[in-house]
Amino acid sequence: MANQPTRTSRTVRALAPLLWIGPAVALIAVVVLWPVVVMIQTSFKHISPDGFDLGSAGTKNYRDLFNESALGGVLIRTVIWVVVVVAVTMALSLGLAQLFNQRFPGRRVARWALIAPWAASVMMTALIFRWALNAGSGVINVFLHDIGVLNHLGSNQADWLGRPTSAFVWMMVVAIFVSLPFTTYALLAGLQTIPHEVYEAARVDGSSHWRTYLSITLPLLRPALIVATLINVINVFNSFPIIWEMTRGGPGYETSTTTPFMYLLKQSYIGESAAISVINFGIVIVIVLLFLRMTKWREQVSN
Amino acid sequence: MRRSLIGAVAIAAAAALTVSGCSSSGGGNKGGSGGNVTLKLVVADYGTGPSNTSSKYWQGIVDDFHKANPDISVKVTAINWNDFDTQVQTMVQNKQYPDITEGDYFPNYAQEGLLYKASDVFSNPSNLLSEFTKLDSYNGTQYGMPFTTSSRTLFYNKKLFQQAGISSPPQSWTDIQNDAAKVKALGKIGFDLPLGSEEGQAEALLWFLGNGGGFQDSNGKWVINSSQNVQTLQFLKQLVAAGDTEPNPGTKNRTADSWTDFANGKAAMTNGSPALIPMIQKAGVLQASDWASVPIAGKNGPLSTTLAVCDNVAAFNKNGHQAQIKKFLDFAYQDKYQLQFDKEYDLLPATNSGVQALSSDPVFAPFLKALPSGVQYPNDPVWANVKAQIQHTIGTAITGDPQKVLDAIQQTAEKGA
Repeated sequence: MANQPTRTSRTVRALAPLLWIGPAVALIAVVVLWPVVVMIQTSFKHISPDGFDLGSAGTKNYRDLFNESALGGVLIRTVIWVVVVVAVTMALSLGLAQLFNQRFPGRRVARWALIAPWAASVMMTALIFRWALNAGSGVINVFLHDIGVLNHLGSNQADWLGRPTSAFVWMMVVAIFVSLPFTTYALLAGLQTIPHEVYEAARVDGSSHWRTYLSITLPLLRPALIVATLINVINVFNSFPIIWEMTRGGPGYETSTTTPFMYLLKQSYIGESAAISVINFGIVIVIVLLFLRMTKWREQVSN
Repeated sequence: MRRSLIGAVAIAAAAALTVSGCSSSGGGNKGGSGGNVTLKLVVADYGTGPSNTSSKYWQGIVDDFHKANPDISVKVTAINWNDFDTQVQTMVQNKQYPDITEGDYFPNYAQEGLLYKASDVFSNPSNLLSEFTKLDSYNGTQYGMPFTTSSRTLFYNKKLFQQAGISSPPQSWTDIQNDAAKVKALGKIGFDLPLGSEEGQAEALLWFLGNGGGFQDSNGKWVINSSQNVQTLQFLKQLVAAGDTEPNPGTKNRTADSWTDFANGKAAMTNGSPALIPMIQKAGVLQASDWASVPIAGKNGPLSTTLAVCDNVAAFNKNGHQAQIKKFLDFAYQDKYQLQFDKEYDLLPATNSGVQALSSDPVFAPFLKALPSGVQYPNDPVWANVKAQIQHTIGTAITGDPQKVLDAIQQTAEKGA
């Protein structure tokens, strides 16, 4: 007899969390999962350039995509883009975080200043760099001219965004520039969680600065490093505004990574564009899974 | 508690977004029997800056129109030329149809049944220049309505020519090559060649015409990878390699790069339209006597024909505003607005009455005379795809293999829409 109300209240209690997580789940379903489903569906459809569904295309979109002569170069560039930008960003941010963790006059101002590239719209930053890199009147070439370097370069070389290779290098520089603030702050937060006593113990044991950094700072910073790397990989992989604003992925597709390439395909070939979106999505998922697995594996070994 | 509140707010926001996304594709007030209607007018921006942006020109018409027709409002969106095609196409792909566009018109929209016939939304189609009727028709029915036209000529800087010791204007490719080399010796750009994505298709066509080539032959067959066209690009490639052009022309755009260079006296030659004239005046570097324009140079001599471009009005039928669109277009096509547009941007009228009014104008007359014999872009539903590919890849022919680049474009054209 006394069981009846208890069972009801138990059910209510079991369902209660749903009330709390329900909105979040619904939001994810609508904003994240549903577009993924539509994207995958679209990649198997024949869609006219004006957005009309002309029925199933089978795997034709994927076959067309793999027949694109530009695809190989685009994929290779994407790998270079992600690896170089993330690696350089992480290395520079480690140094910057260390610097900002020290006490020095004006630290507060310096920390604020670091936020600027983060707070500015990436598109604006890219636009400013595009202007600065203008061959004739950009501030960079004006400076190079004034110090007498420009004449040795020749007008083709000095046209930074005109040649695919130099344009791509400059775009990586911009990508690193805009990735630094977030990464530095993530690592700075990590540095501040390391207890002081550990450093004191190291000092008492007479360990060198370098030794302390390798054996204490880096290992204890690992959670922050993992999170920062992972978020950077995803961000940089999906990076669009920098490339779009600075070169539109051109000439041809010679400065495109997969994201601008996808956008360029979309104008005329929606299905094929969806196909490369699916592949992009797959690549990100694989990278994340591999990365998580790798870091967990390390954790277990060190334990 | 707070978190779920945030979640709830987020859901509400997301729901609101979805709902508003749906309703905007419906296009606001439908039917319009008595109720107020807002027309969505999307136009290309012909201005050189905020002071003369096309939204100002259109807003003037719209304000006059609204005074006469208080129950119809018109919302003007001006998009710069670089992005116009893509953004209109994105609106169409997302089913957020504009009511009226002014800029490029593409036959594929007519093919898909998205457009009103010209005769349904314009009272007097016979006043539109008949030279472009064929280009603006699909299956024998006219959908595009010419709004402004232009023809292309070769602009050259007389002052730089004089400094380089050149006495006559360029007429052939050999002239261009020799003159450009002499100008280059002065440290200036010989020929400014915009093969980047803004107008690569126009620049390429002007050069193809010079060698008897083009995009289609007289039967409408695609001949993009013809030997004449390949030869033309090889000539340009060698011109670029010799340093007679601006650096890396494959990535340079018409307005922001080539025409700006010319207007600022940095380049001696470039192919231009009348729209380059206000840029020259605005830059204030060249006096009217410092430059001139002559027919486009062909391989062996000046071309007797040129590229005649016509920008069109198109009326989308998906929002069902036929009566209101008709009222607005009849109003906007008045001669005074045509002439205002032409004076503002140095472009040419697209109506017979407009042409008549300008036929004795010293600046416009030569361009108007070239118009009827002009070569036009292909009229084919696949043109939108072909044009996009030319714009994006033609520049790579200068550094890579012209034959390969043109073969790929020809392939797209032959695949059809």
